[in-house]
Amino acid sequence: MSRLNRMMAAAGRSAACLLPGERRDWVAALWAEAHEVPPGLARLAWRAGGIWMLTREALMPRRLGRAVVFAVAAAAAAWVAWPDSSILHADADQFGVIATVLLLAGMPLLARRFFGPVSDSRTARFVRVGGYAAILALIPARAVVGPYPLNVPRRGPDLRVFIADGNSIHGMPGTSAGGPPWPGEIFFLTLTACYVVTILWLTSRRASAAPATLAVGTGAGIVFGLVMYVVAPLGLTQYATNPWLPGWRVDPLVALAWILLFGGPVAAGVLAARWYCRRPGGSVKLAQARAGQGIVAGVLANLVGALFVTVLGTGTAALTIEVARLRPLVFHAPHASEAAAYGHVLHASQHIQTYVLMCVIFPIIGLVMSGMGMACFMPVPRQSGPQPGPAPEDRVPVIS
Amino acid sequence: MTSRPEFSAQTLSVLAALCDQPSQWQHGYALAKQTGLKSGTLYPILIRLADRGLVEACWQDEPAPGRPRRHLYRLTSAGLASATGALASAAERAAEQAAAERAGAGKPRAGVRPRPAARGAVAG
Repeated sequence: MSRLNRMMAAAGRSAACLLPGERRDWVAALWAEAHEVPPGLARLAWRAGGIWMLTREALMPRRLGRAVVFAVAAAAAAWVAWPDSSILHADADQFGVIATVLLLAGMPLLARRFFGPVSDSRTARFVRVGGYAAILALIPARAVVGPYPLNVPRRGPDLRVFIADGNSIHGMPGTSAGGPPWPGEIFFLTLTACYVVTILWLTSRRASAAPATLAVGTGAGIVFGLVMYVVAPLGLTQYATNPWLPGWRVDPLVALAWILLFGGPVAAGVLAARWYCRRPGGSVKLAQARAGQGIVAGVLANLVGALFVTVLGTGTAALTIEVARLRPLVFHAPHASEAAAYGHVLHASQHIQTYVLMCVIFPIIGLVMSGMGMACFMPVPRQSGPQPGPAPEDRVPVIS
Repeated sequence: MTSRPEFSAQTLSVLAALCDQPSQWQHGYALAKQTGLKSGTLYPILIRLADRGLVEACWQDEPAPGRPRRHLYRLTSAGLASATGALASAAERAAEQAAAERAGAGKPRAGVRPRPAARGAVAG
């Protein structure tokens, strides 16, 4: 009986960590009071009541529900993406799948320690959930596309297309022709970690990003991502690779994509800053907070855009690989032979890696451009001499 | 149509226990013994009352040797006013219900069919 009591006490203390700070005090109170209850069944029943209280508390079911949904989604993504052990480089791919899921599961716990819990606004939760959903969707898509250009086809015409496309054979047909993908896997995992940390920070309470800032940045990013996807639905080459649009029709979209890449962060930043505080001028602290909001919106615009186009493009390529009937439709070649369709797929899958470059470069461009935009359009006034304290309405949190 | 009472029966029992000694700090186990509520029911009620500012809580300054500090509870002034009003309303409702039950004791119970009259009486 005493062992059961001790086990229940330990379980209660562990479960209490899932509750917010103000609720943990009550759990500690209930647990402390158990020492006054006569030992035996009565004390066990008292502690059982504590476990029941933990599960009944309003926040607990929501947290548990979110954890269950994530666990199911991550398990489904990992199951779909799990490579067969007979495939070469399966160990690196398996490591990538496991490490990504563990990263997604563990990073919020670490982020909570440094950045605090998620911000109270619905927009912050939406951005966080959306970011997680996008990264989870990438796991199976990458697993399909990633090794595809390296896998030497078995059939004759496909093998000829494979060689004609500039791939050399280092192995037998039906095996992989590439080297160990460990450096690529580590790099991609690092990039994923950077994205997860950035999303968690921008949506945390400590970042103090206003809901309007997150909304403007995310909205701009989705628009940018859609335009990029229309321009290059299957990765980037020297020329636009949209199979549906002839060259002259895609040119305006390419121009728009360039404008959104460099101008989008500036516009999102200025809009977010104006929305945050419509009154120009004001104290230095307010101006700094406003500029901070603008920079957050600008970075978010390009970050979301890069992630969005990567998920859509990689997903499209994965579908064309898995569903042969889609190939003539996606590549706008209804009368193409199987070998020709295979050639299109192979060619496209080799350029999916350009999305990785976008994921690295676009947020940096967003940061630089939004910073320049804030410096030009929302300059922080110089502090000369003693400044009066901020007016009550100016007391806003500054992004740290 | 009677309005829904503000507090549940269990919450009223907790308020009544706290009202007995409104200025005294009370322990959770003592409240549980007075009200007959289990810990899993009592503490969420105390949490809700504290969230609404009707109950204040604090930790014991000097715990007993070898024991952890205990949490103490008592009504705030707003809580005392709410509790007094709620308990009075509950007492009124209980009195009305008792009176209604006494009045209804003389009437046939619902669902009980009256005995049919004898055939000869109807025909005649």
